[in-house]
Amino acid sequence: MRSTRVMLFAVVGVLTALVLAACGSSSESGSSSSATGNGASVVTPAGYQSSVDESLSGKRGGTLEVLQEADFEHLDPGVTYFALDYTVVFATQRPLYSNEPNSNEPIPDIAAGKPEVSADNKTITVHLKEGIHFSPPVNREVVAQDVAYAIERGANPNVANPYIQTYFSSIEGMPKAEGGPIKGIETPNKHEIVFHLTEPKGFFVAEALCLPLTAAVPKEYAEKFDKSKPSAYTNYQVATGPYMLKNNAEGKVLGIGYVPGKSATLVRNPNWNAKTDFRPAYLNEIKIHLGGTQAVIDRQVLEGKSVVQNEPVVQSAVKLAAEHYKSQLDLSPGAGNRYITLNNKVPPFNNLDLRKAVYAAVDRAALDRERGGTLVTNVATHFIYPTIPGFEQSGGLAGPKVDYNEHPEGNMAVAEKYMKLAGYPSGKYTGTKTVQVVGASSAPEKEDAEIVNQTLKNLGFNTKLTLVEISTMYAKYCDAPKEEIEVCPTVGWIADFADPQTVLKPTFDGNSIVSTGNVNQGQVNIPKINEAMAAAELIKGKEEREKAWGKIDEELIENAVAIPYDWEKSPRLAASNVHGVAMLWNEGSWDYSFTSLK
Amino acid sequence: MSTGAAELLPSGGDALEFLDAGGDIAGRSPLQLFWGRLRQDRVALVSLGFIVFLIFLAVAAPLVVSILGLPGPNVQNLNLTDSFGSPLGPSLAHPFGVDTLGEDVMSRVIYGTRVSLEVGIIGTGISTLIGVVVGMLAGFYRGWIDTGLSRLVDVVLSIPVLLLGLGLGAACSVRGCAKGLIQPGLSTILFIVALATWPYIARLVRGLVLSMREREFVEASRALGASDARIMFREILPNLAAPIIVYASLLVPVTILLEAALSFLGVGIRPPTASWGQMIAAATPIFNTAWWYMVFPGAALLLTVLAFNLLGDGLQDALNPRNAR
Amino acid sequence: MIRYIIRRLLWGVLLLIIVAGLVFVLFRVLPTTNPAVLRAGRDPQPKLIKEIEVVLGLNKSLPTQFWDYLKEVFLHFNLGYSYYSQESVRSLIVERLPATLSLTLGAAVLWVLGGLSVGIISALRRHSLLDRGAMGSALVLISVPEFWLGLVLLFLFASDIGKFKIFPGAGSYVPLTTDPWKWFTSLIMPWFVLAAGSAAIFARLMRSSLSEAMKEDYIRTARAKGLPEKAVVRQGVRAAINPIVTLFGLEVGVLLGGAILVETVFNIPGVGRLAYQSIQSSDFPVVQGTVLLASMFIILANIVVDVAYAYLDPRVRYS
Repeated sequence: MRSTRVMLFAVVGVLTALVLAACGSSSESGSSSSATGNGASVVTPAGYQSSVDESLSGKRGGTLEVLQEADFEHLDPGVTYFALDYTVVFATQRPLYSNEPNSNEPIPDIAAGKPEVSADNKTITVHLKEGIHFSPPVNREVVAQDVAYAIERGANPNVANPYIQTYFSSIEGMPKAEGGPIKGIETPNKHEIVFHLTEPKGFFVAEALCLPLTAAVPKEYAEKFDKSKPSAYTNYQVATGPYMLKNNAEGKVLGIGYVPGKSATLVRNPNWNAKTDFRPAYLNEIKIHLGGTQAVIDRQVLEGKSVVQNEPVVQSAVKLAAEHYKSQLDLSPGAGNRYITLNNKVPPFNNLDLRKAVYAAVDRAALDRERGGTLVTNVATHFIYPTIPGFEQSGGLAGPKVDYNEHPEGNMAVAEKYMKLAGYPSGKYTGTKTVQVVGASSAPEKEDAEIVNQTLKNLGFNTKLTLVEISTMYAKYCDAPKEEIEVCPTVGWIADFADPQTVLKPTFDGNSIVSTGNVNQGQVNIPKINEAMAAAELIKGKEEREKAWGKIDEELIENAVAIPYDWEKSPRLAASNVHGVAMLWNEGSWDYSFTSLK
Repeated sequence: MSTGAAELLPSGGDALEFLDAGGDIAGRSPLQLFWGRLRQDRVALVSLGFIVFLIFLAVAAPLVVSILGLPGPNVQNLNLTDSFGSPLGPSLAHPFGVDTLGEDVMSRVIYGTRVSLEVGIIGTGISTLIGVVVGMLAGFYRGWIDTGLSRLVDVVLSIPVLLLGLGLGAACSVRGCAKGLIQPGLSTILFIVALATWPYIARLVRGLVLSMREREFVEASRALGASDARIMFREILPNLAAPIIVYASLLVPVTILLEAALSFLGVGIRPPTASWGQMIAAATPIFNTAWWYMVFPGAALLLTVLAFNLLGDGLQDALNPRNAR
Repeated sequence: MIRYIIRRLLWGVLLLIIVAGLVFVLFRVLPTTNPAVLRAGRDPQPKLIKEIEVVLGLNKSLPTQFWDYLKEVFLHFNLGYSYYSQESVRSLIVERLPATLSLTLGAAVLWVLGGLSVGIISALRRHSLLDRGAMGSALVLISVPEFWLGLVLLFLFASDIGKFKIFPGAGSYVPLTTDPWKWFTSLIMPWFVLAAGSAAIFARLMRSSLSEAMKEDYIRTARAKGLPEKAVVRQGVRAAINPIVTLFGLEVGVLLGGAILVETVFNIPGVGRLAYQSIQSSDFPVVQGTVLLASMFIILANIVVDVAYAYLDPRVRYS
């Protein structure tokens, strides 16, 4: 998924990514994957907080203040798809499976145990825990039908869950569903749910059950809200997690627990049973203040008390923290990737050699420095990022060994070689096409766009640089294929869960291209790779999947479909009296259910 | 900043007094008297000198930059940041430091005069043109033309300027508006600035023309058979030149600050073009590690606006000797 | 007199409608993102977009939409619902109005007191060092960009991030009813920034207006009659006050619509910031609502000023 935010002021808008940790690590300090190669390291240096080896114990009580510049996009569990929204949703909603903060491996949340996938890979059975209740005003126990409704409503056009077809289309009856009961979702009794698939994708779909879409929603209460266009359930939502958005006796959240543009307030869910949950929920209340300027917020957090920020830290604050407030800076390796998209469909970048030329010329190290340097970034050499399975298989830190990938600082000689191969003997583009570069006006996206713009100019291209507000950049330009934008310098991706398919398929599969909200911005459509992806989706078993997807990642780089430049090590700040625990699997954001005051 | 122009509301018939002043001295036109008084005002002359200097900087920017041995304003040097990405401060090679892309700040400040002066002078020029025409027509013809035009002025004055600018700027930010006539960047700013400030000139001119049209020389012209247009633009207008110049010069700082505010809010001049307001906006998140990026453009803005204000004051004093300071 | 007031009020209402129309056209016709797409959320299906367009009335002709909107606003005081949060625009604005009022009215008090007193003193002691110093500072304050001044003050004096930790920093605004002292201290710097330019203009205007008034014959007569100097000055001020009143009314009118720059820099949840945010996210109903509000204040201010003039100078009523 993408972690963009509506930037309201010209400051930071770093695209962070969800980190999905490497296999097998739970509460022990498993440090993320290997160091070596390029001299760069993914492991968090000493002195800083690290989301991988944080202690999960803490003191009960207290109120945490959160200073947050951007407003939430969607807090409805059936709609939410942004890392920032997840910080609230995962404190209030419990899906079938979820993650402990320092781990990538989902553990049962509403589920009672691991998902049972049938031998033919077409049936998934999940047993549910007993004794989980909805918050007031619903109050009753959560049953399997609530999980079924939660998923079914995702297909309702008034809810329009953005990933339901990507991950759940193989459930029988899903492609045609419009919010009504789905044939392939069966609830034989109150605590059992069974999914029947039309294709052998059970292993993969079972992994997807940790998405917020599976968070229980009470049908008799939510139905009436789901009738409005778009659904109003979010303004009346109930919770199953340790916290809930403050509401009134009728269940209204809007204006009370969530005041758009101003604040959000999480209070304890009185019906939450700690025995059914792995979350300790130390804090009594979490008060989120919306608005402000990130540069100011970062400093206020560093010098304040009982306060945190939960968005990317501005570069100057990274430096300040690294020099004076080390213990208050949390680094989370593998918080996603960032890349420059080149439109593979229209000239000039439908030409492979021209793409390779630009790839070779871009100074990726400089793009990373704009975000705070090697402390918070790694130069990316392929798309699967550290802590996601498949990272090593596609070359690890060094990446596929092709000459345009070897020089993080950019190499004009290699670039010229490919320009010549493309048919420009002078080494500079002499064609007539004007390349549109659309970036965002906030920092550091602005710098990304200007650096890329200059690089293109150095190669002889005529460019037209446009900077707009970041959500406009996506909604109106980069995600709209008909606009045919040639270059989008600031695109990033987070895996939806710990499987390399979620990093590569939505973004580089030709079949993922849609007419609005298209996240395959480059319109990459290489039949051989599409086929490989379709085959890799069906593979059962972790190691085989890693190998297959690792290979696909290599092929994507060999086709220079886009230019990866950053593997995020997402920084976050906390006040000195806050024992912050960060979600390794959600871009290193602070986990309100585990954070406590010292 | 929304306040500056409101000061310009004509208070009664003050502006016309210069026509009567110095009545005993034969042969000197009001304009000559005007210049004579101005020449004696030292502060105004210094400001004028500074403005001329700015104009020179704007016009000869490439020359100045190369003489000073600075790189161009858009020349990126990505190695001039430290390992955290913080830009380097003032040094011999870069007296005003560099920005996050390694571009030289002094060079950008020099080129920034172009944007500010273009907006200030051209923007005010357009606004004055529109205001003079509208005011002239309204004051000369009176009746329903006057009513209509005055109501139009009322409407425009009722729209909050900054909001309007933001809205237009956001709407025109990528593909332009009015079928491409108004492109994002400078022309959008000129459009907004002209739109926001012409009513003040119009009101002023209207008031002046209303008083003027009853004078004898107008009657005499009409008796000689001059057409309306000739009376308006050949007889009346030259006499209004001085107050119009004065008020226009007081509008210039307003338009410059308006551009800076719009660029600061993200809808003005777009990178990589250097604009002082936009530089201040870009400097905000890195202020504690890069104070130079905010201080120098801010100081340049301050000095420029101050100079125009001082000049405007001087012109005003020259115009109304009774109010001599 | 009454007839004059009624005439002005009617014209004010008409103005408001015209402004509403202009803004309507601006935001519907100029190319921005389709609001139905924005409201539909991520990755919307074309079917949903069409349905939302019907719900929002976007499929009707422009004049029809405008007429519907006018009816809602003037008959039911319903300003519509935000595309972004579905909250009613009226309640969004009402929620944020107290902050803007606190900011504007507080600054107004500051700039009137400050500007007038400095202006009067300067006029009475022309060409003295005090006068030159005051007028010089006034000129600088007029010339400095508001947002720059605000940022510099924050980075110097804010208690959380400033060099000298004196005043509460950005985002510390609380409503008056919550904590009066905190409300007051959090507004000190914003008041200063907002008042600075206006106070300076007032001071200059007062100075020139008063100096001119003090040269009039009736002042000389008053002095000759033996009136104490204070009374003489008061006479002069009374005469000089006209242009100041005009200016004050207009300034307050404009600022009540939201002082965008100050509210943004200091993160005060007022109408100005709401307007800015809604423009950024193409939240058209909110934009229209805030612009209408701002226009209403400007028009009201104009009316009040005009009526005040008409009261003082009967000739005006017949123009």
